[in-house]
This record gives sequence, C-alpha cells and structure tokens, in this order.
Amino acid sequence: MIELRSLTKRFGDFTAVDDLSLTIETGEFFGLLGPNGAGKTTTISMLSTVLLPTAGEILLDGVPLTRRASAQKRKLSVITQEYSMRQDMTLDQVMEYQGRLYLLPRKLIRARTEELLAFAGLSEYRRRTVRHLSGGMKRKLMICRALLTEPEILLLDEPTAGMDALSRRQMWNLLRQLHARGLTVLLTTHYIDEAQSLCGRVALINRGRLDAVDAPEALVDRLGRWAVDETSDDTLKSRYFRDRDAAIAFLRERPSGALRATTLEDVFVERIGRGVETRDNPRRPAGS
Amino acid sequence: MGVITVLWEKWVEFRREFYKITVSAMISPLMYLIIFGLGIQTTSHGEPYLRFLIPGLVAMSTMNGSFGAITQNMSVQRLYEKALDQVMVSPTPLWQFILGQIIGGSLRGMYAGAVILLLTLPIRTGLVFNGWSLCVMFLNGTVFATLGLMLSFLAKTYSDAPRFTSFIIMPMSFLCNTFFSLDQMPGGFRQVIALLPLSQASGMLRSIAWGEPVGAGGALILLGYVAVFGLISVSFIYRKKNL
Repeated sequence: MIELRSLTKRFGDFTAVDDLSLTIETGEFFGLLGPNGAGKTTTISMLSTVLLPTAGEILLDGVPLTRRASAQKRKLSVITQEYSMRQDMTLDQVMEYQGRLYLLPRKLIRARTEELLAFAGLSEYRRRTVRHLSGGMKRKLMICRALLTEPEILLLDEPTAGMDALSRRQMWNLLRQLHARGLTVLLTTHYIDEAQSLCGRVALINRGRLDAVDAPEALVDRLGRWAVDETSDDTLKSRYFRDRDAAIAFLRERPSGALRATTLEDVFVERIGRGVETRDNPRRPAGS
Repeated sequence: MGVITVLWEKWVEFRREFYKITVSAMISPLMYLIIFGLGIQTTSHGEPYLRFLIPGLVAMSTMNGSFGAITQNMSVQRLYEKALDQVMVSPTPLWQFILGQIIGGSLRGMYAGAVILLLTLPIRTGLVFNGWSLCVMFLNGTVFATLGLMLSFLAKTYSDAPRFTSFIIMPMSFLCNTFFSLDQMPGGFRQVIALLPLSQASGMLRSIAWGEPVGAGGALILLGYVAVFGLISVSFIYRKKNL
C-alpha cells in the first residue's frame, strides 16, 4: 500500500505539489490525471526519492520511504517520462547495471534479460548502444529494465507520451497483463482515455492539489451519464444529465444539440477547467 | 556490493573509451615533457629539470584523470541523461555508490599517472617510483575524485564541469609544485598554496622519487581533504532536496 500524507513540494515560491494525501491499495491500478504542470511528475519523483518533499511523507506498507530505505525501494520500479539511462551502454549492459543495482545474482540477471528482451522484440539489438535506438525502442527497454527486478509497485510517468496509436495499445495490453499478475501500478498521464481504459481509480490533480479521487465510472456518474452538446459559432457547450430521458427531453428543445455518453474527459474538463479551448466551463450537472 | 556495481560500470566505460582515455591522459603531460624537459633543457637546483618535472607531472595527471573521470561523468548522468535517477530509486545504499565512484575515480587517476610513468621510462633520470608512489597516487586520485563528485552534485548545468576545471584544476596544475618549487613563491601565498592537495602529492612523489624521507603530514592533509569532500558528497546525496 502506498500512502501519501500531506505531501508538499515547493521550488522557491512555486508550489508544485500542495498538501496531497492519497492511499493506493496493494494490487490497485491507480491513475494520477492532470494537465501539464499539475504536479504529476513531481509526485513520481518524490516517490522515486530523486526529490525530497518539502513537507509530508510517503509510506510504503506503513514504513516511511526515504533515500536510506533500501528494503522499501526494493519494492519499486520506475519508468520515467525521460529516457533515464546511460546512453553509451548497450542494452545488455543497461539490464546488467539495473540487476546489479538491485543486488540480483548475475545468472538471474542474464536469464531475465534474455526473456524480457525477447518479449519486447529487442533481442537482435542487444549489442547496440542506447543512443542508437529509436524512441519507441528506448521506451520498451525502460519497461524491460523496470520489470527485470520483479517489483511489487510499478510507477509509470506518462509511459505512452509520444507513442503512436498501435504502440500505445500494445503498452496498455502489457500493463493490464502486469496488473493481472498482482502488481500495484501507479500511472500518471494526461491522456484521459488511457486513464479511463486502464485505471480502477483515478485522482484528478490540478496545480498540485487533489481535486477528486474515485473510480472513473463513479466520477462520470457524479457528473451525469448523458451529455448534450450544443454547438454555436465559436463554442461547444455541454449539459449533463443523470437520466437519459431528461437528456432527450432537453434535446427536443434544442434541435442543434447532440446526445452522447459522458466520458472521463468531460469530468476532467468540468473539474479542471482547462485543456479544451472550445468548451465553456464550469457548469453544473442538470436534470434529475 | 554497491561498490562493485559502480566499479563494474566504470570498467565498462573504461573498456569502451580506452583509446580516448589513454590518449587524452598522454597529450598535455607529453607536451610539457617535450617543451620543458627536452626542448628547454634547463636545470633545477643543479639537477636536470626533468628530475623535478616528472614527479609533478605524475601527480598532475593523477589529479586530472580522477577529477575528469568523475566530474564529467556524474554531471552528465545527473543533469543530462538522468541516469542517476535509476541509482536513487534502487536499493543500492547511496554511500556505497559514493564510495564506488571515489575508488573508480582514483583508479582512473592512477591509470593516467601510470601512463606518464611508462612514457618516461626510457628517459634515464634515476628517479625511484615504488609501492609508496602508487599509494600517494591513489590517495591523490581519491582527493580529486571526491572533489569532482562533490562539485558534480553542485553543478546546475552540465557545462559547469568544464568551468570547474578552468577555475580549480587549471590554476592548481600550474601553481602547486608541479613546474616549480614552492620555495620561489612569496611568503603568505606560499603557505596557502602548500596546503593545497596537489602541492602535497607532488611533494611526496618527488621526495620518494629522490630517495628522500617522506613525513606523514602530507598524507594526513590529503586524508583530511578526502574526509571533508566525502562527507559533503554523502550529505548531498542523502539530504539534497532536488538532486
């Protein structure tokens, strides 16, 4: 279980994470959703101890996570947004370095490296240096490296940023498989469909503060399961309804409107209030 | 275990960059040897100048090798590649990581010094280099690897590493008992320069090379530097809020 207790991070006058408290249960697939600059990466950096909190604390299974907490850190693997690897090492060397840092026996490192590189389709590039890999290959290598240590908790910071649609779907399938094996996954993303598709619960954060936390369906329910979009010259206005009949009745009065199911993106836009320029906000759910 | 991991990483880097490391360790000392030792054939205290110069060059190469290996590498890892993040999140104790970096840097410094010894081997100078010389070279390398590590944690951009070399290493190379004796410096300034680590390392290597007795004072001063820079580095890696 991961507990963030009143976690705060300031850089001078700027507060990147502001009094963030969250509990992520063991085995959960949890999403941290927010616009750019919301504090997602800062939160992951504090979980990986690269940054230390200004205030508050992080507990893993009830024990504070610090730079000295080797036993706690053994449970974690991180896939960062940037390609945080020695660029002049070969794939084999990257894997071996990771295994050695996690104090794994060399025989085990070699066996798992074979398995993981084959799984990721990287076996034929194993003697190539990281700097000569494409962006997608580097991302796959980071996943292999993270899985080498068989972590209990996987932290992923924008894992599909910059990926094409096919690679994103492959990544989603992989993450589902890992979660099915019992791994606790904490994912940060600003792709709302990604959070809705993968996460059992999501936390919406904005300007470092927690805005809402619940299952995606519950958040949608709270806003209203049905949406009617009204398009004018320069804006798109949406009204939300908990009841489909109420939405249809409303639609009859506005023939130019369109009925659709509400998505997590609607929740995001309504609550966070930025990111989609063509929509007005904030608005309240209407109907019954 | 963490120390071995870092030494393995350093070994991988050394094997990959072997020719570049070796050639760059040779170039400037070789120039100094040619210009001051062979080109301008002068004497110092009635002896051929090379007898004065070679121990100083060995100390200087050890310093450059150790400092360069750590400062450049760690600055790039921390600020550009973000590869230090991988270490921070791993269960490897960070003090072991620091210790591995220091030993690895010292060994690189010793290698650079050994290259100079090999280069000067054909020159008959009557200088003595023995196990004690290697100890001094290792200690000198340790001081500058630790200094390099500390500065690389202070660096804000990866272009800071060459600046540290310009502001700290370059003046020390020329002033600290490498090319001329500290006796020729004005009082006050001389005492300050004498306390700097390269002055001590050069002095000790020269004494050993000339078959003179070496006091423990120089080694204690170098160990003092290692302790101070090492503690600051360990404090940084455990306490610095934003690595």
